[in-house]
Amino acid sequence: MPLLRLEHVTKRFGGLVAVDDVSLEVKHGEIIAIVGPNGAGKTTLFNVINGVFLSDGGKIYFEGKDITNLPSYKRAPLGIGRTFQIPRPFGSASVRENVAIGGMFGTQGHRMNVDACMEMADRYIDLIGLKGHSGKPAGGLTPTEKKLVEIARALAMKPKLLLMDEAMAGMNPRDIDQMVELIKQIRETEKIAIVSMVEHIMRAVAGLAERVMVMHQGAKLVDEPTKEALSDPRVIEVYLGRPPEGNVADR
Amino acid sequence: MVFDQLMGNLIQGLILGGIYGMMTMGLSLIFGVLKVVNVGHGQFIMVGAFTTLWMFNSLHASPILAIPLAFLIGMLLGFICYYSFVKKLLKGPELASLLATFSVGVILEETVKLIFGSEFRGYNWALGKIKIPFTVLPYTKLIAFFGSILIAVLLYLWFNRTRAGTALRSVVEDSEGARVCGVNVDWQYALSFSIGLGLTVASGVLLTMFIPVGINPQMGGQYTLKAFVIAVLGGLASPYGAFFGGLVFGLIENGSYTLFALLPHVEPFALTRFFSFVILLVILLIRPTGLIRTK
Amino acid sequence: MKNTLTKYLPLAPVLAGYLFLFLVGENLEGKWQLIAMLAFYCALGQAFNLFMGMTGYVDFGYVAFLGVGTYGMAIVISRLSDKGLGLWLLVIGLLLAIVMATLLSLAVGAVALRLRGAYFAIATIGVNEGFRYLIEGARLWGGSEGIIFTAQLNEAFGREFANVLATYWADVALFVIAAFSAFLTLFYMRSKIGYALTALREDEDAAKVMGINVTKFKIIAFITSASLAGMIGAVAWALKLTYVFPPDVFEIHYTVEAIIIVLLGGAGTLLGPIVGGLIYGLSKYYLAVTLPGFQLLIFAPIIIIIIVLFPEGTVGVLKKRVQGTFLAKIIV
Repeated sequence: MPLLRLEHVTKRFGGLVAVDDVSLEVKHGEIIAIVGPNGAGKTTLFNVINGVFLSDGGKIYFEGKDITNLPSYKRAPLGIGRTFQIPRPFGSASVRENVAIGGMFGTQGHRMNVDACMEMADRYIDLIGLKGHSGKPAGGLTPTEKKLVEIARALAMKPKLLLMDEAMAGMNPRDIDQMVELIKQIRETEKIAIVSMVEHIMRAVAGLAERVMVMHQGAKLVDEPTKEALSDPRVIEVYLGRPPEGNVADR
Repeated sequence: MVFDQLMGNLIQGLILGGIYGMMTMGLSLIFGVLKVVNVGHGQFIMVGAFTTLWMFNSLHASPILAIPLAFLIGMLLGFICYYSFVKKLLKGPELASLLATFSVGVILEETVKLIFGSEFRGYNWALGKIKIPFTVLPYTKLIAFFGSILIAVLLYLWFNRTRAGTALRSVVEDSEGARVCGVNVDWQYALSFSIGLGLTVASGVLLTMFIPVGINPQMGGQYTLKAFVIAVLGGLASPYGAFFGGLVFGLIENGSYTLFALLPHVEPFALTRFFSFVILLVILLIRPTGLIRTK
Repeated sequence: MKNTLTKYLPLAPVLAGYLFLFLVGENLEGKWQLIAMLAFYCALGQAFNLFMGMTGYVDFGYVAFLGVGTYGMAIVISRLSDKGLGLWLLVIGLLLAIVMATLLSLAVGAVALRLRGAYFAIATIGVNEGFRYLIEGARLWGGSEGIIFTAQLNEAFGREFANVLATYWADVALFVIAAFSAFLTLFYMRSKIGYALTALREDEDAAKVMGINVTKFKIIAFITSASLAGMIGAVAWALKLTYVFPPDVFEIHYTVEAIIIVLLGGAGTLLGPIVGGLIYGLSKYYLAVTLPGFQLLIFAPIIIIIIVLFPEGTVGVLKKRVQGTFLAKIIV
């Protein structure tokens, strides 16, 4: 049984079709990259999976359960975690509290009291390398640090599926490599599936994802293992644009 | 006979509603453009009422002259408030602007109380009455009604036929896009806020033409509530929706008062005020964005 | 055990403060009235802070809960005074006050708490007026004439003790309520409820994505805050004045004062309401001598200044200063 299954999911905003009849599957422990230009509908897709928006058509199944109309706060304890493109930590709370909140209402929340969540938070803060910042208000961190806090917070939820929205946007190549390593490590230790949304970052896709999905104008264009995707002309077109008429560069 | 009474009631309700509608347009305009709810709305109306009072009693000036003066006072207050703090609060949490506008209302109420005292006052602009089918109307109410319509029409024309109005509409649609097109978004915000307040204060004048008694510093609160009901009825962000919402509300308020007056063991005036509040809750429950869809 | 001690340590300065106030009132000649007023404002602030401070939502109709609480106590005393219940009369009155406030908060909350920010404010701004006009319009519980129950209170307790109740024990009860509210506040802050409220105050959508049922927690805070207000009304208005009159107990200016106190002191902090209550209460008291009736006119612009420049309030600013030091553990 796949972890996540979308069947013909559609989301419209007025006349604009943001997600157009998308069907996909994510298996337990997989790492998938979703790529596509701005406005391709990637964030909306995440929002629909998360329950921030309810879909206008189609069905969503998580571990076989139909979650299509479930409100977002009920999807989290099932095991869906999320980080946002522009990080949204709880600014006035400390880093430690932020991460602990993830634990309090996540999949294990019902068995953990506040103290246990704080302890778990410390472990995750260590993992992401922000140990010294544990007591600081999250609002005062740098954007990269905020991203890491969000990841730790999402991990504290002990999700089975982690949706990472543009986790590497705006980073320099060295940070990207570190992030790639972190994500791989997360997958190993936490045994979760990760769907990562990346706009143009080839290094991230190549080094990380087992499968690549390309979205364009709300629809799924391509869905294949990374090796094939890297040489698929449709994928290349998304990244590099259509070559000048009648002239394909020699490879 | 009953039909006559009903029709008379209907007309009175519509006339009242026109005033109510105009009274709410400023609120909707400000929310539509700046996404700010002016919780001190009623107090601005009160300022308009007192302006009329003062002009009539002290300067012996016709209330009609009070309208443009009130509008200017509103605009002045608007610019002062916008540039001193509203602008800074636009990016912050909603709570901040709510509390700030609320505080402005408090300041206005306390200041007026200080200058004029808390007693109830009124003025007497005796112009006589006119007999129209089904009912009798004082000329003042008629003037107030047509004044309201006129102002609503002028606003419409300004929005849709002038460059300035178009610039404003563009900001509502897409502030970033408007900025890119060279529209000074900040100035548009300031302008909308001020025009909104100008409309509100001016509506206070028209209100007193309709109800020339009971003018006191605390009168604002009840109109804030009524305006909210009307705005929610008509769609919080739409000034035109507000106008039509006002008409509907005027009918409901007038009708319910007549109805309650027929029941034993109740106070119809108080019960009508309670009823207005219930309407608000019901609408918010069903469709918070308004029952009337207008743009 | 040690952990619990550290967790509840911040309660120490609160309780110490209230104890100090109480002792001042007891021992200084003629100051009890002032102390009683300060206790009222601290209690009001503490109760209001539990909702506005912790959720970030403003309930503009808050005074309605004090009002119905007043009615709860008034109804019980006026009707059951001849049943020989002794002090249980007051207990029942208090319970009815709490029940009525809770019911009203459920009714209002059912509509208002599903709404976001501005719409919530709109929904609540008419609650106090609306309820007042219900009472007057439907002629409930004495209608616009209210209830006067001085005689019944005298009947139940004898004139002398009734007087002591109204002039002393009612105020002591306020201290107890204020302390209890502080305890509840800290209890919430240290539990998942508090963290959920912090999350939803900061970013409601992100909170939902983290699995927080924001409506549930808003309701918890709302009801708690409302019940406390009911208790305050029952004690500070009903018991103390021995009458209830609709226009008085649904007056919006008490909500204004509550807002001032919470913002001044620091919304969402534990110590904030006490600091705010003291500053506001003392200012009002001493202004009454020099510039009577001016206090709202002076404080309303101060609110605007606070919102723009110091939104975290006095204690909020203090917290930032002591961050990382030992004091951070007790200034919360």
